[in-house]
Amino acid sequence: MIRLEHVSKTYKTLARPALDDVSVSVDKGEFVFLIGPSGSGKSTFLQLLLREEVPTRGRVIVADWNVAKLPRRRVPKLRQRVGCVFQDFRLLNNKTVFGNVAFALEVIGKPRHTIRKVVPEVLQLVGLDGKADRMPVELSGGEQQRVAIARAFVNRPLVLMCDEPTGNLDPDTSQDIMLLLERINRTGTTLVMATHDHSIVDSMRRRVVELSHGQVIRDDARGVYGVGR
Amino acid sequence: MRASFVSSEVVNGLRRNVSMTIAMILTTAVSLTLLGGGLIVVRKVDQAQESLRNAADVVVYMNENVSANDPECANDPCAGLRSELEQASGVQSVQYLNRQAIFDRATEEFSNQPQLQELVRPKALPAALWVELGDNVTPQAVKKQFEGRAGIGSINDQSQFVRNMVNKLNDVRDGTFLIAALQAFAALLLISNTIQLSAFNRRTETGIMRLVGASRWYTQLPFLLEAMVSGIIGSVAATGLLMVLKEAFLDGLMKPLTNANLLTAVSYADVAFVAPILVLVASAISGLTGYLTLRLYVRI
Repeated sequence: MIRLEHVSKTYKTLARPALDDVSVSVDKGEFVFLIGPSGSGKSTFLQLLLREEVPTRGRVIVADWNVAKLPRRRVPKLRQRVGCVFQDFRLLNNKTVFGNVAFALEVIGKPRHTIRKVVPEVLQLVGLDGKADRMPVELSGGEQQRVAIARAFVNRPLVLMCDEPTGNLDPDTSQDIMLLLERINRTGTTLVMATHDHSIVDSMRRRVVELSHGQVIRDDARGVYGVGR
Repeated sequence: MRASFVSSEVVNGLRRNVSMTIAMILTTAVSLTLLGGGLIVVRKVDQAQESLRNAADVVVYMNENVSANDPECANDPCAGLRSELEQASGVQSVQYLNRQAIFDRATEEFSNQPQLQELVRPKALPAALWVELGDNVTPQAVKKQFEGRAGIGSINDQSQFVRNMVNKLNDVRDGTFLIAALQAFAALLLISNTIQLSAFNRRTETGIMRLVGASRWYTQLPFLLEAMVSGIIGSVAATGLLMVLKEAFLDGLMKPLTNANLLTAVSYADVAFVAPILVLVASAISGLTGYLTLRLYVRI
């Protein structure tokens, strides 16, 4: 589903590369934790998958698309297949829960009857049925992140990328969010999650790819956050 | 594409930036009013040229002796001059107007100015030969050929007058267009700024749109439409302003010129003629400025 082949990414403003000859392959339906300290290249990794950035060298393949070679007009098609969730939720405060999730479908031109059918289904999946008419400010942090996940998943992407999705949440809420992400992963959606959260990585025992100074220093099939824990 | 979604985004965008939107509409309206004014001047100049083209090209005023004693132009030097003019190359027609005919003509022309009519007496006016020229001869050549001849008081090159007046009107038009261009430049900058501000205010929405796979066109369209809607409102306001200016100032200012039959008055038909042009110009300029701004300055 995802393949990075000898990928390097250099920014003009940085002396060393953000990613340095990284090769990683993720199968369909896998759940992968991307860990490493700040500045290790996790965000660049995710940005390359979304074609927010293009690699300086190497190939990035997502769902059989060579992302770096993708013509500009085809990039939206890629992004419809790759959902993303962020630490800061990025919800629209002037729209209801339903409106926020529906927004992702409206802007890609989905018909209204589809939106009316699909949005309640996904709200139920993330545990927000009955809260469709609430505004984001009326929700807890965990609920807001659920809305963000619903928005990222409503178009049934092949890959869901999560950049520190529990970074703003307390441990209990984080656990709930991880259960939700696991449930989504069980639907066959490939999940790549960048995180600093030791306890989550340690408790879930999923594949762990560790980055340091832009290089993959560890790729464990059922890993933990720190080596030797 | 969902029209309801796009239109609601446009309305929200205009509402959020209401002060900038009003500034954009006003600036556009002022620049388009000037542009519309310039276009009306062009239209008036064309009409004036057309109407003055029908007037005599050269008027040969006879001296007092001929004017007083030869009302039919039957004797020399008047008859000789007429015959010579009729045979001169490039002359299309020659018409003799005696003092009474000249007086009648003046009375008709100054029908709206009774004070002027009272001052004019037939005896104060010279008889004249009205000469219409073809394209292959200049009024100056005729003037040169006949100037100083017996029986002639003076020769008036009417085309010179027409040229002077057209030049003055063209100066007015150029000045109006220059100010309109400066205003339009200010309007362009305002449109560009407003779009940038609007995009900044909605960066969360556009960021999400980009990430969930909305096409560039879908993301940019509301901003483009916002600019175009403001431009079109500006052009409608400009049409209204032109009507107000016509009623409040232009009709009064142009009265001497219209009374003297030099120009026709600015009518609502003139305003109606330029209104669709203003709408088209406003849509095109605001759309193009919006498009370029989004491409060059805004990451969407």
